[in-house]
Amino acid sequence: MSITKNPYDPDVTLGSGCSCGSHSSQAEHDAAEATTSDAGNESTEDILVKSVETAVVQAVFGTDMARRNFLRAVGASTAAAAIADVFPLGAAKALAAEASAKLEKSKLNVGFVPITCATPIIMAQPMGFYEKYGLDVDVIKTAGWAVSRDKSMNGEYDASHMLTPMPLAITVGSGSNATPWTMPAVENINGQAITLASKHKDKNDPKMWKGFKFAVPFDYSMHNFLLRYYVAEHGLDPDQDIQIRVLPPPEMVANLAADNVDGYLAPDPFNQRAVYDGVGFIHKLTKEIWDGHPCCAFAASQQFVDEMPNTFIALYKAIIDATQYASKQENRKEVAKAISPKNYLNQPETVVQQVLTGTFADGLGGIQKVPDRIDFDPFPYHSMAVWILTQMKRWGYIEGDVNYKAVAEQVYLATRAKEVMTEMGLTPPESTYQKYSIMGKEFDPEKAEAYAASFSIGRV
Amino acid sequence: MKPTLPLTARAALLSFILFGATVLVWQLAIESSTGTAPNMDPELAALLGPQAKGQSAFPAPMAIFDELVRHVTDPFYDAGPNDKGIGIQLAYSIGRVALGFGAAALVAIPFGFVIGMSPLFYKALDPFFQLLKPISPLAWMPLALYTIKDSNSSAIFVIFICSLWPMLINTAFGVGAVRREYLNVAKTLELGPFRTAWKVILPAAAPTIVTGMRISIGIAWLVIVAAEMLVGGTGIGYFVWNEWNNLSITNVIAAILFIGFIGMVLDQLMGRVQAAVAYAD
Amino acid sequence: MRNPLISVENLAKRFPEPSGKGELTVFDDIWFTIEEGEFVCIIGHSGCGKSTILNALAGLDEASSGVIIIDGQAISGPSLDRAVIFQGHALMPWMSALENIRLAVTSRFPEWSKAQVQDQCEKYLRMVHLDGAHDKKPAQLSGGMKQRVGIARALAIEPQILLMDEPFSALDALTRGSLQDELMGICKSTKQTTFMITHDVDEALLLADKILLMTNGPNARVAEIVVNTLPENRSRDSLHKHEQYYPLRNHLIEFLVTRSRELASEAEGALDGRQTKVVRLDETKPETVTNSEPAPLRAVNE
Repeated sequence: MSITKNPYDPDVTLGSGCSCGSHSSQAEHDAAEATTSDAGNESTEDILVKSVETAVVQAVFGTDMARRNFLRAVGASTAAAAIADVFPLGAAKALAAEASAKLEKSKLNVGFVPITCATPIIMAQPMGFYEKYGLDVDVIKTAGWAVSRDKSMNGEYDASHMLTPMPLAITVGSGSNATPWTMPAVENINGQAITLASKHKDKNDPKMWKGFKFAVPFDYSMHNFLLRYYVAEHGLDPDQDIQIRVLPPPEMVANLAADNVDGYLAPDPFNQRAVYDGVGFIHKLTKEIWDGHPCCAFAASQQFVDEMPNTFIALYKAIIDATQYASKQENRKEVAKAISPKNYLNQPETVVQQVLTGTFADGLGGIQKVPDRIDFDPFPYHSMAVWILTQMKRWGYIEGDVNYKAVAEQVYLATRAKEVMTEMGLTPPESTYQKYSIMGKEFDPEKAEAYAASFSIGRV
Repeated sequence: MKPTLPLTARAALLSFILFGATVLVWQLAIESSTGTAPNMDPELAALLGPQAKGQSAFPAPMAIFDELVRHVTDPFYDAGPNDKGIGIQLAYSIGRVALGFGAAALVAIPFGFVIGMSPLFYKALDPFFQLLKPISPLAWMPLALYTIKDSNSSAIFVIFICSLWPMLINTAFGVGAVRREYLNVAKTLELGPFRTAWKVILPAAAPTIVTGMRISIGIAWLVIVAAEMLVGGTGIGYFVWNEWNNLSITNVIAAILFIGFIGMVLDQLMGRVQAAVAYAD
Repeated sequence: MRNPLISVENLAKRFPEPSGKGELTVFDDIWFTIEEGEFVCIIGHSGCGKSTILNALAGLDEASSGVIIIDGQAISGPSLDRAVIFQGHALMPWMSALENIRLAVTSRFPEWSKAQVQDQCEKYLRMVHLDGAHDKKPAQLSGGMKQRVGIARALAIEPQILLMDEPFSALDALTRGSLQDELMGICKSTKQTTFMITHDVDEALLLADKILLMTNGPNARVAEIVVNTLPENRSRDSLHKHEQYYPLRNHLIEFLVTRSRELASEAEGALDGRQTKVVRLDETKPETVTNSEPAPLRAVNE
């Protein structure tokens, strides 16, 4: 491969070493696809060569901002020539290739909270997806979201499983110190449910829930925002008419059995576990509230992405690869078997299997078949982040003006995902923004501010 | 009838009977509460746990016994970073306690000595101790995580903090309460500060200091379980949390028994030390 | 006359009043001397500051004014030259009898070998008849035995001066008697210079060469120094048979009962510490000794 133009593209954010931004270099795409016959077996050499260029360009300009400004001012080709003049890029690339220093770090710690949402992160370990990309990853079980966040922020984890709103919250400094965080991939979509205690079998209408106590796993969670959305659509104010408390998922089942909460909107397997233990029933899958909603995320600090671009890409690919594998229905049983043992979820296999296959007991005596009860789609749509931000705004978690798109684009690495997915031979969606219909109400990411203010129940 | 057995033997027999009776009642209670499974579609039954089919959520003693045997016979297996044998987990916890407690002793005993020797320091620092002592050690955890930025070190720090106060306060008190006449003897024998500290004050205050250490190690062992439940990763606290996560009451009870046993052993060890330094006045 | 071994000069002890205003004088204007080899007892009521004087001699307490000169040197602080036998035995309870003595011996003779130290310890345990109790802890010893260990510890460092603060007051009469005998034997044979506080008149008459009488505190003074004129070879059994015994005893008791109080209430200056009366009863009839008429007594100014 010769000198590529990608580090010289002012519209591309450096760090990966891949050049295929959607705007400028379609030829580059083709070249990449030509050299990589098999998806997921992308030649590491290609990445390496590009990363050398990227490193050089970054070294010359210092900051990405300076590079972009420079490129805009003089034009990419001038810049390439100028740099080639002063720096023997070819020699540097050869050197780096010989040193085989493709991964800055191969031994990684990735944190996860033991729920089925973490399926791709977890299964990538026993099923060899990390290994495939030259990584030796320990997946470390974590007691809860706050600890996961703290361990990620203090660098014990190189990357971790988070809830989709968490990287946004960390970046804007809501609930923690503001630290630039990134969300390269969504772990799973759907995969949550509202579970009610068995004694409420006759209270299927949310209007009858006044005074109920609900649990959610974390403030900055889709669980919290979906529960709020759901009850508000039924005319209940989540801050007035019901109580919402944060409980670690395992304690939700015990609290439900002990009658301390009336229900919860939780990640699986704890909805299914309540059914399995005979203490609750599944009132509604969140899929029925918003089909295809994001749930959990694969997240890493901006620092990790910047300082270890090759390692990050390898990890990223492993996750996307695993996510793709998990999304196939025929693989689900195998995945359930791989992630149920003590070292991972530590749950009865049948519980995990019911969640992943979508053939499950609903706790009301029936067996339901909902194959996409949980699904896996790594693409981090910016519109998802915008929706989450509108809900954070709606319920007063963030105040003042929010530049929805700017934050979303900073944190959700949709452009990057496009690049990597394309490189892996997958087909990323055309646009990073989508419109959603949630309980019949349309969400248009272009009209975020108006949307946040459009609810009759809310704090805006 | 005259008792034919010595008191210890009779006490042991009574202990055994009480234990046996408790276990028996427990086992019977579990068995009686286990109703017959309702007539259930086998397809549905396969998807549900034993509890949903009418079994007691609480394990029978035999189940716990089996679990204990399983742990004791294979205590050191290592099935990845999140699943290790109980022996390894206990070793992690004991190691953390040893480090935190050891560090606390290294700080508390010399520092307590200085404070005990100086009524000025004693009076000046006492309000701080009184304020810091009742703080739940776990309340330090977020602060430790934030500043130390390492969860394992934070757990050790929490052990350090909770072990510190009883030892510090007891050392200061013990040193301050050394009888004047011993010090006068030391003075008339021109022992010098180091020999006085080593030969007179330390042995005189040792029972009080060791009592502080015994209290500390008890607290440390209580706290490590909670700390490890919080930060996770390894240790018996993590083990409990992991089993709790799986709602496995059997394993939680097994772990409780192990925790109790180790706690007892630690306490007995300190008891030995206490007996060794005790003296009759 | 050559210089005395110990010279206490113008010693005074004052405390600030608890109210913070003014000072409380425990004793003042104390002057006395002790010759080498002399056994001196001090008698006085509680609160007159006897223990403070002893502690000052030991270097454990500091007087508010005045000096103590020993062997021509003003003392400052404790010294191994001065051994103290405390009222309570003050043995380290975590050490055996032998270890208690060894602590003292190794401090006194740091250059000694282990064997030398051991010999010294055993020698003094033998001297106080405790050969069999080497390894016993103080708690395993009777009160008398404990005090014997205390005596052995004090003597084992071969002190220039032995200071004793009511060493036998906590013991029963029988034990006390036998210990007094032993102590007298040891002190006589080694010509041990000794200063002892006692409440017991008979003990003072048995052991002391001269007896300091202190008036009641506060503002206590040494009223007089009584020379013990009983024969050198006196013993506890024959003490009361000597003709001087009852006059001396009565003199001391009368002092304790009445004169110590009366003298204390007299105006300051009635007693001049530098001119403390020295009383010898063998040269005059004891009945004539009165407070108001000291003339018949032979008063010698030091």
